[in-house]
Order: sequence, then structure tokens, then C-alpha cells
Amino acid sequence: MQQVIAHSVDDLDRIAGLLLAAHPQAKVFAFYGEMGAGKTTFIRTLCARMGVTDNVTSPTFAIINEYHGRRDGAVFHFDFYRINKLQEAREVGAESYFDSGEYCFIEWPELVAELLPDETAKVHIARGEDDQTRVFTF
Amino acid sequence: MTYILGIESSCDDTSAAVLADTTMLSNVTASQEVHRKYGGVVPELASRAHQQNIVPVIHEALQVAGIPKEELHAVAFTRGPGLLGSLLVGTSFAKAFALGLDLPLIEADHMKAHILAHFIQLPAENKKVPQFPFLCLTVSGGHTQIVLVRDYFEMEIVGQTIDDAAGETFDKAAKIMSLPYPGGPVIDKLAAAGDPDRFPFPHPQAKGFDYSFSGLKTSFLYFLRDSLKNNPHFIDENKEDLSASLQKTIISILMHKLTLAAEHYGINQIAVAGGVSANTGLRRAMQQAQADKGWETFIPPFSFTTDNAAMIAVSGYFKYLQKDFTTHSAAPYTRGGIG
Repeated sequence: MQQVIAHSVDDLDRIAGLLLAAHPQAKVFAFYGEMGAGKTTFIRTLCARMGVTDNVTSPTFAIINEYHGRRDGAVFHFDFYRINKLQEAREVGAESYFDSGEYCFIEWPELVAELLPDETAKVHIARGEDDQTRVFTF
Repeated sequence: MTYILGIESSCDDTSAAVLADTTMLSNVTASQEVHRKYGGVVPELASRAHQQNIVPVIHEALQVAGIPKEELHAVAFTRGPGLLGSLLVGTSFAKAFALGLDLPLIEADHMKAHILAHFIQLPAENKKVPQFPFLCLTVSGGHTQIVLVRDYFEMEIVGQTIDDAAGETFDKAAKIMSLPYPGGPVIDKLAAAGDPDRFPFPHPQAKGFDYSFSGLKTSFLYFLRDSLKNNPHFIDENKEDLSASLQKTIISILMHKLTLAAEHYGINQIAVAGGVSANTGLRRAMQQAQADKGWETFIPPFSFTTDNAAMIAVSGYFKYLQKDFTTHSAAPYTRGGIG
């Protein structure tokens, strides 16, 4: 476990690098944090670092966004904010995506806890000492 | 006269429409009330409901239009973007229908169709339509973009949200205030009785003509959190002023970039599309700009701003004129569109 502090969005790229280095084998990443914590913002930085060229936006409306641009595969970006029952996530095909071997970045993973593979890399994002600061734990 | 059947099933509404050239003969939509209790559209529920709705909706669209299916010239369907399961229902039905009747199949892009909705005429109507080139601000729950429209199918996104959509900001702010879904119309209604200048919220910056709303959502959340510490009834006591102030901020962000884009391209034909164009604040701002900036503004009737098949049929009509048909191997796409 390591804890890293971001004082501004400029720190996110460095933290994305640390995260990928800490979990070199992981494909499924779960991002925990309340609304406004910066989950989508961090995932955008992570995607950019991985070579994604598509526009990374909030998947709240679509539940799943698919991004391309990486040479060796796609990135799936999930947001289970609007899911109420586990069954709904199953019906979206969440498990097939998680098992696909492609990168999966998941917002609001609490709602699909039972579906997450054991080897899921968990990232917690919390507000720090002021509203601009974020504490990353992974 | 060319008769086109349009089928739209990209999200939660199943819709079918018949147009004679650009004149709408019918536009039938089955809305899925089932999502209200979930606070949003649930993809799997949506695709199941589409399967139940699609046959009756198309039957009714043909009946209302008074056009027997044998007289149709082509079938147009939404190929994307949207929810995959929902798109599959409309795509599969359109293919089977076209095959059965030996009709040309035409694919339509949902985002372009929202813009082309400006060209739909009602019977006995001769409405003024935007002249090319024009700018269209498309604002909905899933999209916020400024599109430079050079011709019916020559479109370029010149600005778009880099994070949350404007409609999503309305919906999430409503959820923060514990207001019912969908939040946009509720906030719009409350805003009418509120003071838009009571609470100043920040305008997040994005480059060029792009938008950013994520920071506004976060500062709204933090503002309420801090205010609730001093007064647990803060939201209840101030929901009108909160709604009015938030709405004013969102609209002013939307108008700012739209104005910059209009000046940059030297365009005064300005259109709005998408569900958020029903917002009273946005409509007022557009009227104001018409007077202040010399714009000629175009806001479609509400029934054409939400998802509907008439816009798919009108897209199909313009493609039919160019004999731009689709093969039966066309698979739906979930993202992208104009680009």
C-alpha cells in the first residue's frame, strides 16, 4: 500500500505512473471516492498516459465507454453510479468485460463488489486537507 | 414524394416516424417509465423494453401517417452512438424490415440527426431553416458539443465537454439536492422562483471552444456540504435560489463558448439541439443573443429535441437523395458519431 498526495491536477500524471508501476500485472482497476473526488479526471490522465487518443468523458450516462488509441487493445471505462442492483451490472455484461483481459477502469465499484475479480487493483481517492488536495491510496 | 420510415432506439425511447420528403406525417414514441424509479436509464431494461415496443410503435407510425408499408421508399435507422443493447434492437428490426420489403437501408448518426431535426417541417408548415454554414450547440444528458455544420453531412465538432455533459450536471446537482429524476426539468421549474444572482458558482475553464462542468459539480457539492454544517435545512430553505444560481451558471458557460465560436467563424446562424434546449434559461439566453448579437437563432419544437425518429427519417431522406445506402452487415457503434 502506498499513499500519494496530489496538490493539483498537475500531479496526476506522476501518480498515474506510480499506480501502473505498483500494479504492473493488473488489468482491472477499481476507483473508490465520493462524487467530486476526481475519479473521472484521474482516469483521463491514466488513459492519456496509456496512449488513448479518444476523448475520455464521464460514462455516467452510458455506463460503459470504450476508448481506443492504445496499440495493444481497448480501454473500458465503467460508471456504476446509476446501477441499483447487482443483477443490472451482470446484465450489462460487466463480468465478460472484467474477464476480457482488456484494461477496465471502474467508477463506483462498491455497487458491483461481488463481480470484481480477486486481482482487481483498488485505488482510493479522498479529499485531503483542503478542497484542492487529494490523497491516493493503492 | 419520397416516403421514409425512421427508427430510433439508441437510449430509452423507442420511436418510429414516417416523413414525406422533409414533412413529418407521424412521429410515435414509447417512453420507458420504468427508468424513473432507478434515477436513470438502465441499459438492459431499456433493450428489453425496446423489443416489446418496436412492433407496435412502427405499426402505429405507419397507421398515423396513412402510408402502407409497401409505399415506403427506404428505411432509416440509428446506427449509433447509444447503448449497444438498445441500438441492436432497432438495427436488427430495420434490417429485417428492409429485407422483407426489398427496401434500401439507410443508417443515421444519432448526433447528426439531432442537428438535422432543424429541417423537419410539420404538415402545411413552411418554417425557416438554418442556412449553411451554421453552428449548432447540442446539449443533452450525455453530450455537450458545438458543431460547425457546413452541409447536411459535413459536420465538424469544434468544441465539446472534456468531462461531464451539461445535462448530467443538472441531473447530478439535482441528486445532490435530493430532487427527483430527471433533475434538469425540476431545477428549471424551481429556478423560475429563485434569485439567479444569490449564489456565485465558478466557471470551470477549458481550452478553445471546449467545455468543462466537472469542477462546477464539485464546487456545488462542497458549497452545500459547508452550508449544511451551519444550517441542516439549508437546501430545503434555498432550493429555488440554488437552482436559479446553478442554472444561470450552466447557461452562461454554454453561451460563453458558443459566442466565442460564433465570433471566430463569423457565423450568425445559431441552432440548439438536444434535450437541454427545452431549458427556459437557455431559450431566454438565445433570444437575448438574437437581439444583442444579431444572431438568427433556431430552437426546434420540444418533441424534436428529445430522442425521436423524425430526425432519423429526415437524415434518411437527405441520404436517400444521394443514394447513400447501407449494407446489411452494418453493426451498431456506441461512441463517436460526428468527427
